[in-house]
Amino acid sequence: MENTKKKYLPWLYCLPSFLLIGAIVLFPILYTGYISFTNMNLYHWQDYTFIGIDNYVRALGKVDSGFLSALATTLLWTLVNMVLDVAIAYVLAVGLNTDGLRAKRIYKTLLVFPWAMPAYVSILVWRVGMFNTEFGLLNKIVTSLGFDKVDFLSRNVPAFISCMVLNLWMSLPYMIVMIDGGLQSIDKSMYESAVLDGANPWQKSIYITVPSLKKIMAPIVIMTTFTMFKQFDILYLLTMQKGAVSGSTLQTIITYAHQNAFVSNNYGLSSAVSMVIFVIIILFSLWTNTAAVPERKGK
Amino acid sequence: MKKKSVLKKLSLLTACALTLGALSGCSKDTAATNNSQPENASQEAPADDSQAPQEETPSAGQDPIVITAWHDNDEAMMNALADVVNQALSEENITLRFEKKSDVAGQIRLYGTDAANGPDLYLFAHDALGGFAEMGILEPVENLIDPTKEADLLPMTLEAATYKDVQYLMPVYYETLLFMYNKDLWEGELPSTTEGLYDYMTAHTDTAAGTYALVNQHSTSYNVAPFINGFGGYIIDKDANPGLDTQEMKDAITYNSKFAALQADGDYNTVTTLFNEGKAAAIIGGPWLISGINDAGINLGIKSLSDFTLPNGNVMMPYSGVQCLGVLKVAAETKKDAITKVLEVLTQPEAGIMLAQNFNCAPANSKAYEDAQVAANEMILAMEKTAQNAVPMPNIPEMGVMWGPAESLLAAVNKSGEDVDSAASKYQQEALSAIADMQ
Repeated sequence: MENTKKKYLPWLYCLPSFLLIGAIVLFPILYTGYISFTNMNLYHWQDYTFIGIDNYVRALGKVDSGFLSALATTLLWTLVNMVLDVAIAYVLAVGLNTDGLRAKRIYKTLLVFPWAMPAYVSILVWRVGMFNTEFGLLNKIVTSLGFDKVDFLSRNVPAFISCMVLNLWMSLPYMIVMIDGGLQSIDKSMYESAVLDGANPWQKSIYITVPSLKKIMAPIVIMTTFTMFKQFDILYLLTMQKGAVSGSTLQTIITYAHQNAFVSNNYGLSSAVSMVIFVIIILFSLWTNTAAVPERKGK
Repeated sequence: MKKKSVLKKLSLLTACALTLGALSGCSKDTAATNNSQPENASQEAPADDSQAPQEETPSAGQDPIVITAWHDNDEAMMNALADVVNQALSEENITLRFEKKSDVAGQIRLYGTDAANGPDLYLFAHDALGGFAEMGILEPVENLIDPTKEADLLPMTLEAATYKDVQYLMPVYYETLLFMYNKDLWEGELPSTTEGLYDYMTAHTDTAAGTYALVNQHSTSYNVAPFINGFGGYIIDKDANPGLDTQEMKDAITYNSKFAALQADGDYNTVTTLFNEGKAAAIIGGPWLISGINDAGINLGIKSLSDFTLPNGNVMMPYSGVQCLGVLKVAAETKKDAITKVLEVLTQPEAGIMLAQNFNCAPANSKAYEDAQVAANEMILAMEKTAQNAVPMPNIPEMGVMWGPAESLLAAVNKSGEDVDSAASKYQQEALSAIADMQ
């Protein structure tokens, strides 16, 4: 009797959480899956019927040159942003942990500020306050140097770089805080031993700091990679918001799906596209987890 | 040990309470579906927004009925409009209450069939009509009101309120784009042709210094529509054929692009700020800019866009957006008489006169223009004049997916310097694909 109680009691404790997760996470996915097999759209709002895999055939039919180009942009975006995010955050976090640095806490607090700001506000502030041709700080600098105004968002390459800079501004604080936390956990005696062995700062960094941070960084990098991969709001609000289309044609797979399925009010089709993207992200997740496991085991 | 057990129970209890609390949000507002009168029902509308409206009962003449309408306009204006209706219907015990919502069109799609949580009416631009009509969530206004009572409504507004020969909406007021200028900055007479306007812009614009003669949202299809319609082009025709690659459209875009080169980046925030800060002498915009312009202390002059002639001899023809009331079918089933009375009040000139006098809105009711104060309003007169040539925004559902490709086409030409022919062809295909995706 006692064993039975011990066996089921933890499940009972977890039940409320399971119910919540089921209602908030699982149900929308299942319902989206259900809608994806129907013809629910403006013309069949209340009388929609089951139409099998038709929407999936149409969704996969969208895997055309536009989709492949968006996928390539997404991969490039994810890779470049991740590399820069980790590298810059590492340098800043190490710098913030330099012995003797004054007012560390103030710097750390200020660095967290971009992360604390709502993304929507940050993006609009950057669009007007930094990139705008008339009022943006960057153009003020450019014109004060005697050059013509630059529309940073009207063409693909400068728009990509502009979006990336903003993305880094918004995501760096999180990475810095995580790395900073990791740095605090490294045993200082290792550095002292290294100094006695004649190691320089670079060697200390490569042979002590980086290996020590790997375990902590693996899940953070995976999570941030997903955030980068499914980036939508920065690209959308900077370059393609209704009434403020910038002229660049940058697309990630999420903005591509939004443009090609979601604006149509065809809920069946857009649900199918959502499910396809969901599967892509799950596969990506499995791949990154698989890639991370041997490393973790090795350590 | 005992303490641990208590903590376990407490945590379980807290978790259950949290779950129930979270899930309680999924429950229906039963009060809204309850036909019985609450004990404390008064003659006035409930002040608490969470209180649901009473449904019509056999003794409707006696019971207070609240009609809820969603909108995304200026709240002061909507409250003033509600006051006009409520005053007229005070003896009928009918109260109209407006509630502001962001993304009204999206909200109506979500709650259009939800009698418990949705509104009874909505006030929104007419271009969303086709989608709602196809969804089957609207009760045609012609089923609720005698057409003779709408005799004074401007034909253009009735046309906008009609979809597939059925009048679904009740026009309240309309908006068109206008030529607004700063009298203190504009030098000399206003030109009467677009070429004259361009010459003035060339002479009075210094893009490096950030001073402009005229600014416009040059890559937004609504703001370029005066050129497009004037050139005989169209974004989409009544049979849902997109016209982005027609020669007339390409001519209009090409013509607009030379103006765009002298109009900053064309974003809403940029152009309105330039005008309000006195860095642009004129702006093409609508009555929604007025409050900001007044706050900036601009000495404003207004001219109808119909007063500018294009090189082909046509005048500029902007879109008109008619703000209409739509009636949800679920509301008409239970509150038909009360809604009819609200609509009847709105067919009278009083509501339009109030909107014109206090909020510079151009009334849909032609009789409202006989009021002395309305007749002396420069902005309303300009809109009335423009309305004679204005083209109501298409209200077919397919128009909803056309704004994106049309705007992308304009931005590609004006901002990215793409060739008009190739860009038009590309975005025509995108438009066709978007329309196909709707089915």
